[in-house]
Amino acid sequence: MNLPSGTLLAQSALSGLFIGGLYGLIGLGLGLSWGLLHVINLAHFGLAFLAAYVCYQLASVGGMDPLATLAIVVPLCFALGVAMHALLMRFRVSPLNSLLATFGITAIIEAGIQSVWTADFRKLESSYAAQKFRIGELFLPLPELLTLAIAVALAFGIWAAMRYTDLGKAMRALAEDAPVASAFGVNARMHALLLAGVCGALAGVAGVCLALTYTLTPAQIYAWVGVVFAAVMLGGLGSPLGPLAAGIVIGVSEALTMAVASPSWAPIVSFTILIALLLVRPGKT
Amino acid sequence: MPALRLPAFYESFLYLVLHWIVLATSWNLLSGYSGYFSFGHGAFYGAGVYTTAVLAGKMDVPFAWTLPAAALLPALLGVALGAIVFRVRNVRGELFALLTLAVTFVLATIVLNTPIDGGPGVYLSAVAVPSLAPTASGSFYLMALALAVVTLAIAYAVTKMRLGVGLFAIHDDEDAAEVMGVPTYRYKLVAFGLSCGLAGLAGGIQALFVSYVTSNGTFNITVPLTVVLMSVLGGTRHWAGPAIGATVITILLYASTAADQAVAGKAVVGAILVGAVLFMPDGILGLAVARLRRMRAAASSIAQAPPAYATRLPATAAPRARTGEPLVVVRGLRKSFRGVRALDGVDLDVREGEILGVLGPNGSGKSTLINVVSGHYRADAGSIVFAGRELLHLRAHRIARAGIARTYQIPRPFAHMTVRDNVALTAMFGGEALDPGEARAQAGEWLAFTDLAARADALPGDLNLHQTKFLELARALASRPRLVLLDEVLSGLTPGEIDEAVELIRRIRARGTTIVLVEHVMRVVTALSDRIVVLDQGRVLAEGLADDVMSRREVAIAYLGTVHA
Amino acid sequence: MKKHTSVWHRLGLAVAVTFFAVPVALAQGAQPPIRIGSTLALTGPLASTSLVHKVVGEIYVEQLNKRGGLLGRQVEWIVKDDQSKPDLARTLYEQLVTSDKVDLLMGPYATGAILSAMGVAQRFNKVLVHHTFGIPSLAKYEMQFPAWSLGADPANTVPNTVLDALGALPKPPKTIAVVTSKFPSVHFMSLGAREVAKKRGLTEVLFLEWDFGNLDYGPIAARVKDARPDFVWVGAIGLEGTQLLEAMSKIDYAPPLHFYMYPAPGPMSKSPLAKNALSMTVFEEHPPFTNAAGAAEFISLYHVRAANARIPDTSVEVQAAASYTAWQILEAGVRGARSLDDKAIGAWIKANRIDTIQGRLRFDGPSNYGDDLMRVKQVQNGRWVTVWPKEYAAPGATLQVP
Repeated sequence: MNLPSGTLLAQSALSGLFIGGLYGLIGLGLGLSWGLLHVINLAHFGLAFLAAYVCYQLASVGGMDPLATLAIVVPLCFALGVAMHALLMRFRVSPLNSLLATFGITAIIEAGIQSVWTADFRKLESSYAAQKFRIGELFLPLPELLTLAIAVALAFGIWAAMRYTDLGKAMRALAEDAPVASAFGVNARMHALLLAGVCGALAGVAGVCLALTYTLTPAQIYAWVGVVFAAVMLGGLGSPLGPLAAGIVIGVSEALTMAVASPSWAPIVSFTILIALLLVRPGKT
Repeated sequence: MPALRLPAFYESFLYLVLHWIVLATSWNLLSGYSGYFSFGHGAFYGAGVYTTAVLAGKMDVPFAWTLPAAALLPALLGVALGAIVFRVRNVRGELFALLTLAVTFVLATIVLNTPIDGGPGVYLSAVAVPSLAPTASGSFYLMALALAVVTLAIAYAVTKMRLGVGLFAIHDDEDAAEVMGVPTYRYKLVAFGLSCGLAGLAGGIQALFVSYVTSNGTFNITVPLTVVLMSVLGGTRHWAGPAIGATVITILLYASTAADQAVAGKAVVGAILVGAVLFMPDGILGLAVARLRRMRAAASSIAQAPPAYATRLPATAAPRARTGEPLVVVRGLRKSFRGVRALDGVDLDVREGEILGVLGPNGSGKSTLINVVSGHYRADAGSIVFAGRELLHLRAHRIARAGIARTYQIPRPFAHMTVRDNVALTAMFGGEALDPGEARAQAGEWLAFTDLAARADALPGDLNLHQTKFLELARALASRPRLVLLDEVLSGLTPGEIDEAVELIRRIRARGTTIVLVEHVMRVVTALSDRIVVLDQGRVLAEGLADDVMSRREVAIAYLGTVHA
Repeated sequence: MKKHTSVWHRLGLAVAVTFFAVPVALAQGAQPPIRIGSTLALTGPLASTSLVHKVVGEIYVEQLNKRGGLLGRQVEWIVKDDQSKPDLARTLYEQLVTSDKVDLLMGPYATGAILSAMGVAQRFNKVLVHHTFGIPSLAKYEMQFPAWSLGADPANTVPNTVLDALGALPKPPKTIAVVTSKFPSVHFMSLGAREVAKKRGLTEVLFLEWDFGNLDYGPIAARVKDARPDFVWVGAIGLEGTQLLEAMSKIDYAPPLHFYMYPAPGPMSKSPLAKNALSMTVFEEHPPFTNAAGAAEFISLYHVRAANARIPDTSVEVQAAASYTAWQILEAGVRGARSLDDKAIGAWIKANRIDTIQGRLRFDGPSNYGDDLMRVKQVQNGRWVTVWPKEYAAPGATLQVP
């Protein structure tokens, strides 16, 4: 067997980097909600796909620019995120129960999507799809590049916000010890709702990125759950940068395996790496 | 066994219900009881599916003979995985979930890319269905029924055995459970093995039921997600909870199969799940059990108005002799945390029957000493000989079994167990090693001894601080230890409560129990202790009779920083 | 005389009508409808295609009842949602047979569910006609009948048809890359394609397999590009083909000749990247297929109904045609046997040839499969047209190469 060419390896690694970025982007809101709000939000996937369909509708039927739909999708998802969390908070739902409740919400969203858009395939054809940059032998497609840029910008933006702004610090304090933080005058309720809204908005952004690159069907909601959960748990709950890093580790290791061996073996490499990391990782959580 | 002679469809539908009952209940054995949340139940179920599919479909082994293998292989897989994972202290909570999820993907990839499947799937149409009933569906129903009965019996029996009590304790506070004498590692392995074996068995039967097995249809997240939902809906803390959840969800899913309402039905099922979890946060059975417990708690607090001060000792507890011989001999004990030496070569003796007070400023190593002696931490070097036996390399539960009990400075009761069960646990797992029934009976006596009898059926969260501290004491005593390590039991109590506690400690010692008392309240230490050891920066600074030690110059320096000569 | 004859003629007709039509009308009033039961994956991952089968079944039953139904009785179709789960499909078919007590069965959608239904049919000795079963070697029940005429050995015949088509080009391909999903019904076809290509002297420059459900096609595309094959055989099902195609376009690669096993037809024909993409078909919306009896009417009805059901791509192709064919086979079987007895229906179907919109089908080969009627089609100007064999090609259409 010939050795794979450098171009092939580099192009494959890029492909893994891009999809890893998408894992990270979808995982970002999921991890924040899990780590800081103690809600394991399965509906995050449902919300992302709802956003993707809304983006599809506005862009394909309404003729909007796909990126301009963010102006509608993001506030919509923010509101849905807040509403959902208000419900969960009102009933003081435990983390495990939140999984069940948000699964129910996901089923409702899925049914809603199917009754509006049917179960058939929907693909957003946009002017972005065909655009790409070339560096030497390598190609960088615009939609993927945009997704990665958005993922990195949002992850670092939220990281900086949590580290350097009062609001961010208050949120971290609340996650660590809500009673003490409340005693220092942090309005737990408002902050939690705000954060839930941000997580919803992040799902919205992820959804628009999904619509840019992927063909949509309602059942696709569940196609991402396994690998994104893995990225979030490996990256650390509540960490803004962790899921992105973990997503890229999974994406790149799989892509490189696909480049040098049979692609159907790819998951074994990424998930063996993951298991090994987990067992040797120094104590966190 | 009821061969119902119903139309085949009812038998098949009941089969599906029973199939999910087995999967959910088996998941709950580990994940619900002990809180080790597995997201990889699909892997073990799938291992069972493929064991039967390969043996019966490709190698022509009679179906019935494949079932033991379908149970054994996943069980071994689970135990092997657990043997690695459960040794890593940090792999708990979501990391355990992640790890088991990852195992699912790895297993699926292996099955798909090796001759186990290889891609085309395994077709079992030529495999004969055992004729237990007139129809094939009836046979499947009977097989699933038998398996479900066995699974539920195991789930029930486990809750009544030490295993179940230990698992529930692990759920609430694994480190404390280990220190109280629960062999946590072994229990988790046993539960994981049982859980995986039963799931594999369900998979083996399912392989023949669907008769066409594909890797994608088997190893997906539907199985783990569904069993979690079923268990949570039914109640994870009750042996029958997952069965009830499985029945409800399977019926709900089946109710929405009419074509015209398929999509709407899906939304309705979703809405019902949301409603159920909001209004029944502990699951269907959790709600029922909580109602029952509140009723019982109310009844018991009326029936047993507390005696002014309980002085009765448990009948089985005979005082031990005060010999004055060294019970514990500590030599050269060292323990560092990331380079900080918490214990830096501690030598001390604890004599049989005495109360030894341990004093020292913050960070002097007092709590670390207790944590190391009780096995909560493992020492870096040195030796701890207890009643002639080296403890240094023993796991914490063996130390507890040898006769050492402790309390925690910040009480760590098992939050979801009643006060009585908290105390019964140490009677079961401590030096006394009673069986569950006796342990519960004796727990009542210890509760009376510590004046908690009226709160026996309450949850620890409902107690006040004073009662919680006394619960810590009752727990430590119920194991009938030769040595009790008391870590600041008095902190946070009012002066009146302190006097009560002091009286209690005296009475404990009067029964011959040796006590190591780590305390900040100096007057109590000097009043109670026969001897005092002062620690400073991980070393023994002074040792001797109480008044003598406190007047020493270096002790004053350590405490006050300066000497007012 | 003439007048007389006419009068007598009319009288005779009137008598005839009274004697025959009245009993028929009475019978229709008195006799309950014939009930045909099936499941479809209306929710879950397979739902995207099941909708086609639902629309087609509704059209057919409506047409059938307009024609007077079967054996003088109206026909009622009972559909249940198997949620894309084979174990549920099995239970629902048992419900249809033992509890709903339907008279006849119709197959569900997708391999797993069809196998489940086949098992039930076998246990209760029911005839099962199914639309889209892709692995003939697994169809081991003597009273199951495939409506999708891909022959008994498609892993051999289908690749040969494709390579025949390519071999007729002025510059036939010399090298081949076979890349395939491990989805069972496409995987065995791709393995067959390897064998056939080898026998026909093509050099295999690349063979890759991926796991169904793969999300990243970038590396696979890069490897195809690297291997520079003359022809790429893509064993893909549903969206996989489009995803690989997109991934190839993203690294600025367009394969010279490319074939996709079972692409999602709508997204692929509409994709600007799919120019000249090849696939297989048993029916497309152009002559000679549309010359078949009833085809034109069906197509125009389907356009309306599919649009009403909000299916984005309303053209009739493999899925819809196979679905329609299944109903035609069942109807022919009942009419031929003149009874609802499954044994009689099964025997009749097996012994006869049935005219369908796919052509004249026979069921006397291995596993009751007949001839391989799979034709090669190509995306041209945003729609699928058949290009091979020539006698089935759309008017004026030929195989296009870049």
